[in-house]
Amino acid sequence: MAHHTFISSMKDNFLLAAAEPGNSVLFTFLIYILGVFVIAWLSNKLLQNRNFLSEYFLGSRGLGVWAFALTLAATSSSGGSFMGFPAKIYTHGWVLALWIGSYMVVPICIMGLLGKRINQVARISGAITVPDILRDRFNNVSFGLVSVALIIFFMTFNLVAQFKAGSEILRTLLGPIDAFNSAVAALPEWFGNFSGLGADYMLCLVVFGVAVIVYTTYGGFHAVVWTDVMQGIVMLVGVIIMLPLAINQATDAIDSSDSSKTGMAAVTEEMAKMVPPRYVTIGLSLPESPTEDVQIPPGTWVSSQGKVPHGKSGRVFRTKQRNVFSAGAPVSLVEAIEIISPSDKRRSFKAMESQNKNDADGVASNLEVRLVLNNAKVRIPSDYVGDLSKVELKTGTLLPWEDQGTQRIANLYAITSEVESLKAGDELDAYVFDFIRTEDSFLEMEQNVYRSSLTEFPQLEGIEISSLDDGYYAYGAADEEIGSFVTAPGPHRDSTSGFLPLSLAISFFFMWAISGTGQPSNMVRLMAFKDTMTLRRSIFTVAMYYTMIYFPLVIIFCCARILLPGMEAEADRIMPQMAVTLTTNVGMGWLAGLLIAAPFAAVMSTVDSFLLMISSALVRDIYQRNMNPDATEKQIKKLSYIFTLVVGLGALIGAMNPPEFLQDIIVYTGSGLAAAFLAPVVYALYWPRSNHQGCIAAMIGGFGAHLSLYIIGFINGEGFTPYRPLELDPIIIGLFGSFIIGFIVTLKTAPPSDKVVKKYFYKKLEG
Amino acid sequence: MASDLDRDQYSSEPDPTFVNSRREAIVIFCTWFVALIWAVTYCKINGYDIEDPANIPTTLGMPSWVVWGIAAPWLAADLFTTWFCFCFMKDDELGIAGDEEHLEHAVEVDG
Repeated sequence: MAHHTFISSMKDNFLLAAAEPGNSVLFTFLIYILGVFVIAWLSNKLLQNRNFLSEYFLGSRGLGVWAFALTLAATSSSGGSFMGFPAKIYTHGWVLALWIGSYMVVPICIMGLLGKRINQVARISGAITVPDILRDRFNNVSFGLVSVALIIFFMTFNLVAQFKAGSEILRTLLGPIDAFNSAVAALPEWFGNFSGLGADYMLCLVVFGVAVIVYTTYGGFHAVVWTDVMQGIVMLVGVIIMLPLAINQATDAIDSSDSSKTGMAAVTEEMAKMVPPRYVTIGLSLPESPTEDVQIPPGTWVSSQGKVPHGKSGRVFRTKQRNVFSAGAPVSLVEAIEIISPSDKRRSFKAMESQNKNDADGVASNLEVRLVLNNAKVRIPSDYVGDLSKVELKTGTLLPWEDQGTQRIANLYAITSEVESLKAGDELDAYVFDFIRTEDSFLEMEQNVYRSSLTEFPQLEGIEISSLDDGYYAYGAADEEIGSFVTAPGPHRDSTSGFLPLSLAISFFFMWAISGTGQPSNMVRLMAFKDTMTLRRSIFTVAMYYTMIYFPLVIIFCCARILLPGMEAEADRIMPQMAVTLTTNVGMGWLAGLLIAAPFAAVMSTVDSFLLMISSALVRDIYQRNMNPDATEKQIKKLSYIFTLVVGLGALIGAMNPPEFLQDIIVYTGSGLAAAFLAPVVYALYWPRSNHQGCIAAMIGGFGAHLSLYIIGFINGEGFTPYRPLELDPIIIGLFGSFIIGFIVTLKTAPPSDKVVKKYFYKKLEG
Repeated sequence: MASDLDRDQYSSEPDPTFVNSRREAIVIFCTWFVALIWAVTYCKINGYDIEDPANIPTTLGMPSWVVWGIAAPWLAADLFTTWFCFCFMKDDELGIAGDEEHLEHAVEVDG
């Protein structure tokens, strides 16, 4: 195995020794896992002397306020809340307050719209799962099976995706810890070969997967609920500690020459001056060719002059990927961001100074940026008639590029596509030298140079740059868009409409509040609370809980823009990095472990719930209700354990090599479940005239309308991006379609029997 | 139990739990709609297309459009939720499921 030199992996402007927070993370993690297993053991004790199915999958319908409130809150807060959401705030600024704004009514919506009634109907019918309710409410076996099929279809994809997310989070958290890297290095090669994502990912997947599968399988619903409670408390405490530290430290970090204001006002004022960074590829070099492989970790600061420059002319970059200088190779290409805003640059140079001061190996401080490159595509015209064997696309070749009606000239660095021989119609990946936005007068000169190059190399005629990414944000980088971090729609790397155009802001009000109400995983929890007093108090508790979590997160990670410049290079690490920075700056590095446990807790609490939902669908809805209604409790118990274990292991194996577009699949399944389930459940609970024909039509209609928009998007060549009529998200179309189809079909078909209506909608006589 | 169902067991009055939960659901849906209209409209008018972002008006250190478009209505929504949970929402009978009857019986036998 090659020897590697590692640059210190703690690399922000408040550079710290890695050992302290690293040990805290490991210590917290171990305590945490231990706590989870203790809870599972206690929960298994509860399974004794109770109806196994009801206890294992529904906690015997006996959840009190804290258990019910926090399990619902924690399950709804997936890993995204503590990794993806902070990364989005950091990347797009204050507009995330609007993005998450509907959380002001999410608790009352997801618990109050259906809660009381679904709990009552579940008790009347003796239902344990959502398909159970639909089947019994309409006395229709097919309905139960259709809903089971949809739940298994959506949840299986989602479970694989959540397993991957959990492992990625663990890898992000443990990545900077030396002990973890040593453990990965000691793993046998065959272990890492199971996954295309590397041995470190495999190790995290196995640790995460085995922990979740074991405690969920052994402890059932109560284990899931009580670990959720523990996880919910960890998340809240983390945010409460971080908020004052973030405001205080961000204010201190602002140069007094930049702002006369204090506190959050200074932070907002500073953010108003910021311009999003540029995405480029840089060529790094060391003064001498290395004699052994040298690794440069992601997030390393480098400048265009090799040393920290203190003038406005200096350019500062931060690497996005781990980069390896092979022995003997003097230059290495790596993706990076370039800091643009003057005040960001000042803070970045300070961070770089700090990094170089702590650079024991002397590698980072000697890195020089030799090249700045942009990605481009070179197109050979399909009607090219010359001799392509004579075409040489070498460094320095000038090629024309049409940009918004203006002819511009790019300077080729290299073709990166692997091609044996050029063919007409080829479109090749390439790098061009840093593409500067030039004046018109200069362009004329460029074009003259290009025309004269054609007289020397006439075979280049017609070959052109078909697309070029100059690295600037599509929205937020232009002069007239400065201030995009404090205004809506917020900066966006790819979309010229910005991060949150108005139509999307409306869609998110549907997405969080209404789509959240339609999630079967939430519905199951609504079937488990003890009485209506518990429901009332829990809605209040979750409302306060979300208020204390979500809006403060927006403030904290707006402050992160000041404290940790350049984190766009690895935005998903902003949460752990911020935790380490905030706590170590006040001499309490050990606290970072607790804060860092929050995102891990969030994803665990989501995964365990999904796992139990799939196994309950298999055991209850398929086996007991359709294959063996007379199954003994012993058989059910054995099967419940086996199915939970098998489903968990299946998801773990699926996550070893997860399919492409996984994040898109998570979005698709979340909104697809709501489109399919919300209307039928609302009709079943609140409309006495509803019947199974109408509700099945609503379910299939919602599923179909939602799916068809994804199919149209795919046919239009958008990949996994759905077609959005009037810029509205598919969830809105799916929900409207589902409600309308269900309504029409119900009225066109026979009403339900009087017996069923009486059972579910009329008062039962005493005695 | 479903098999024992007899039409005569039920009165002609709608079940109060159903009636109350439907009424509460309508109020909640209206609340969601009001929150949507307020937040999106206010933020559209005051948060999008700001002429001079460098001098953006702030309240409590945050952009004013965030405070009045999101933070203030969020607090108002919390107050409403508190009123809804403790003054408006009714305590209703949810009934006893078959599995709970079994449980109660088991407890009685054990006891």
